[in-house]
Amino acid sequence: MGPTLYRKKGPLIVFLLPAFLFLILFLYYPFLQNIWNSFSHITGLGTPAQGLNQPWYGNYVTLFTDPKLRTALGNTVLLTLCTVVFQVGIALILALLVDSIHVGAQLFRTLYFFPIVISATALGLMFNLIFLFNGGMLNQLLSNLGLISQNIDWKDTDHFLFTMFAPVMWQYVGFYFVILVTGLNNISQDLYEAAALDGCTGFSQVRYVTLPLLRNVLCTCLVLAITGALKVFDLPWVMFGAGMPQDQGWLTGTYMYDQTFNRGNVDYGSTIAILIVVLGVLFSNIANRVFKPRDYI
Amino acid sequence: MKKKKLLALALTAALVSGILAGCGNDNKPSNSGGQSASNVELTVVTSYGGDDGNRKNYENAVKSYEDATGNKILDASDSSNEEWKAKVLTDFQTGTEPDVLFFFTNADAEPFVQAGKVVDIATIRAAYPDYADNMRDSMLASAVDGKNYAVPSSGFWENMFVNTKVLADCGVAVPGPDYTWDQFLKDCEAIKAKGYSPIACSLFEVPHYWFEFAVMNNGTLENHLDIPASADDAAGQKWVAALNDIKDLYEKGYFPVNTLTATDAETVQLFADGEAAFLIDGSWKVNHFVDNYGDQLDNYAIAYVPAKGQRKASEAIGGISMGYFITKKAWDDPAKQAAAVEFVKHMTSDEVMSTFVTTEVTALKNGASPAGLNALQQAAADANANITGVVGAVQDTVSSECKADLFANVQNVVTGKMSAEEAVNSAIAQN
Amino acid sequence: MKKITPAKAGIYTVLTLWALTTLYPFIWVILNSFREKGLIRRDSFSIPLPGSGLTLDNYAKAMDRFDFGNAYLNSLIVSVTVTIAVILIAGFAAYGLVRFRFKLRGVCYSLIMAGMMFPVFSTIIPVFRMEAAWGIASSGSRWLSLLAVILPQIAGNLCFAIIVLMGFIESVPLELEESAYIDGCNVFQVYFHIIMPAAKSSFATVAIFSFLWSYNDLFTQNFFLRVPREKTITLLLNEISSQAGVDYGLMAASVVLIVVPVLMVYIFLQKHIIKGLTAGAVKG
Repeated sequence: MGPTLYRKKGPLIVFLLPAFLFLILFLYYPFLQNIWNSFSHITGLGTPAQGLNQPWYGNYVTLFTDPKLRTALGNTVLLTLCTVVFQVGIALILALLVDSIHVGAQLFRTLYFFPIVISATALGLMFNLIFLFNGGMLNQLLSNLGLISQNIDWKDTDHFLFTMFAPVMWQYVGFYFVILVTGLNNISQDLYEAAALDGCTGFSQVRYVTLPLLRNVLCTCLVLAITGALKVFDLPWVMFGAGMPQDQGWLTGTYMYDQTFNRGNVDYGSTIAILIVVLGVLFSNIANRVFKPRDYI
Repeated sequence: MKKKKLLALALTAALVSGILAGCGNDNKPSNSGGQSASNVELTVVTSYGGDDGNRKNYENAVKSYEDATGNKILDASDSSNEEWKAKVLTDFQTGTEPDVLFFFTNADAEPFVQAGKVVDIATIRAAYPDYADNMRDSMLASAVDGKNYAVPSSGFWENMFVNTKVLADCGVAVPGPDYTWDQFLKDCEAIKAKGYSPIACSLFEVPHYWFEFAVMNNGTLENHLDIPASADDAAGQKWVAALNDIKDLYEKGYFPVNTLTATDAETVQLFADGEAAFLIDGSWKVNHFVDNYGDQLDNYAIAYVPAKGQRKASEAIGGISMGYFITKKAWDDPAKQAAAVEFVKHMTSDEVMSTFVTTEVTALKNGASPAGLNALQQAAADANANITGVVGAVQDTVSSECKADLFANVQNVVTGKMSAEEAVNSAIAQN
Repeated sequence: MKKITPAKAGIYTVLTLWALTTLYPFIWVILNSFREKGLIRRDSFSIPLPGSGLTLDNYAKAMDRFDFGNAYLNSLIVSVTVTIAVILIAGFAAYGLVRFRFKLRGVCYSLIMAGMMFPVFSTIIPVFRMEAAWGIASSGSRWLSLLAVILPQIAGNLCFAIIVLMGFIESVPLELEESAYIDGCNVFQVYFHIIMPAAKSSFATVAIFSFLWSYNDLFTQNFFLRVPREKTITLLLNEISSQAGVDYGLMAASVVLIVVPVLMVYIFLQKHIIKGLTAGAVKG
């Protein structure tokens, strides 16, 4: 099949070569090295490997016995779930609400996108000021309102999950919001009118008309959210550093960074990187299987 | 239409960058290795970046070198931490090291010293006889091969800073050179009862100051630098006891409430703002207080770390841990050799060193002559006058992996998630 | 669909509350960037007024200590180059993958999906070594160092860009291309005269995101750019935050200096972003 225009495959090489040249040089080749590194014994950044590990799969055994990695995985899976439920969830609710109004819709769209424009470093600084123990915005606010008499340590073992997750959630709600809003715009008004004639309004309309038609878009959001959550690094690292509090605050991203760059454990860091990629492929495949309509490729 | 504007913007930027790139290439150094070559560009890496107390002095010294020689210094300094060290070592391994490096002279320097990437002082003196001739040769750091590579800069000391305003409010006397651990515990209790934090320290970020003195408190000056082979031998027992002393202070509530989640900057501020009484820190903090709290210097004093067992409170940590290296790369480059030597000579000259030094030791034959001391610097000088013994830090003699592991586990020891023995064994396994 | 007023009021309340959370932190930072040192931790909520805590010192200090102009120029050079390169290269690849049928098409697609997941920390060292061997990383030349950042950043943004663009190009009706072909256009003319204009907003999305991610990417920049004259605005912010210690006013002022230009560019281009982003994502 295919139109005559695209029968000749000659130009294809011109179209694909530049992209794959970049990808091979700067992504695939380094990542292959990374796979090789995970079997090698490396003591410092940039040091050549000193032969293979004893045994060569040693790092993969460590993956299963390392309690900090278990913490990191637990937190990351939790973060992924929260991302799916809250980021996409809040975004969906906001999108449905904005879709139902006319005045000010454009303004809300602009405001909701604000946080994505700003770098994680700047956001990290900002949130550090907000959650500061001694005179931070939140503690000042709560004590001005008379809700607390003593400052809350927002980064201690009781509060760190909230302090770590909330900024990450908040930052990306706008991203999914914008995707979902346009998905809603694409749903034909006729369908709603037909549904209304059948007596289907309000919540039941959302349940039986809007959500099914939004399934494709939601699925795209899910895959983006899952792969995004597994890689989260900047904000938690700027705010929490190495595993704060008391080694309970690790994420796979921050743990991998710490092992590679601060502990000189480059080969183990490479192993964690592979774990991240494998989990990413696995999770997004599961999401695709579960949520994607059958006719979708 | 907006797209067109964007495109125009992009094209302009590309054009500008092209023009600038052209300019950049025009004035490349074209001289070929004369002794007094000017317009040489030297890349320099030091730890005088970031929030280092000597950053301004360093910048001034670099400026005066540039003015005097016409050479240009490409400064890639940063503040010292494990990430910075890793970056420096990576550069040596990929062949992108700087021309002149200011770095630790201990075990940290071994990788590039052993790889022959830096030039030893004897070799340099063969061509430039006056290189480092203002230094006492006996105080030059020796590498594992017995040679001297680095020209020492100013040294450091670590000791206890106290907030005299807080102490006065709690009716606690400023500690003297006979300060004991028992008295210290009593003082902490009194300070805590008044609602202050007795000790300003982030056990998450900088437990190493207290660890070093706690090890001293459980041994002697002579055996301070012994490295354990396990938690069971004599040195190991010392380290275990040290960790348990810190744990005891933590359990008594003498550290700030958020010591396990606060940053160093936050706890130092607690001390500076008069919300905490004691702070163990180094000589570099003196300038930090001068720069940031110049109007409150009278509230701070330098006292002595409380002593236990055979240690006297007048014994402290100190030494010279860093120095200037000239890399093989710069030495073998005829255009850069003279400039690099000149730069190190300038940075370690008596005059320049005197701007860096207030109360620290130096290896200068004539000693440094700082120009007038302010209140806090005077207090440090007075305290130093009573110091009866100085020893280097034992943590600087172990590998950085070992150090990182040990200090990351301090938080687990004080909260009881790990025993001190386990922490020591885990760290030693990485040495 | 039209509801009675109480429901509407509820909807607006919820929307406004969320808008406050996205807007208020910025207002808070901006207010405090004008506040006198030391007042932030005591009273960060009031509006600083002349005579009661208003000061421009924080900005004066930031401008005085750091060379912002040069840093903006570096950032602009890096991000604009990355953006243009990504659009050109990713557009080509997306077009080729969508319109041509060939054996390795599935493999290529999977490779691109996988490429989205590689963490940058695991690829940076080999890239650094490779570029050091080519003589462009840490060479001491400002332009080569900027190039050393640009190349991996292009690669890092390509996968996302290709995926988004593929989604959109798929929806461009084939008939247009066929008729252009019959009129004598070759494939390249079809791409530049039919596809690119038709997928305009999608290209705008990719451009904006490539620009933002390149501008805000601290990690790669920090690894390759060490010397002051090479530093970008993001690196400057990082440096300020490490030098400022607890000078929160200076920190707030620096955040404002870095964020405001981006916000202005964003507000200026937002129609294109939102349209383009959704168009691409929905189909992808």
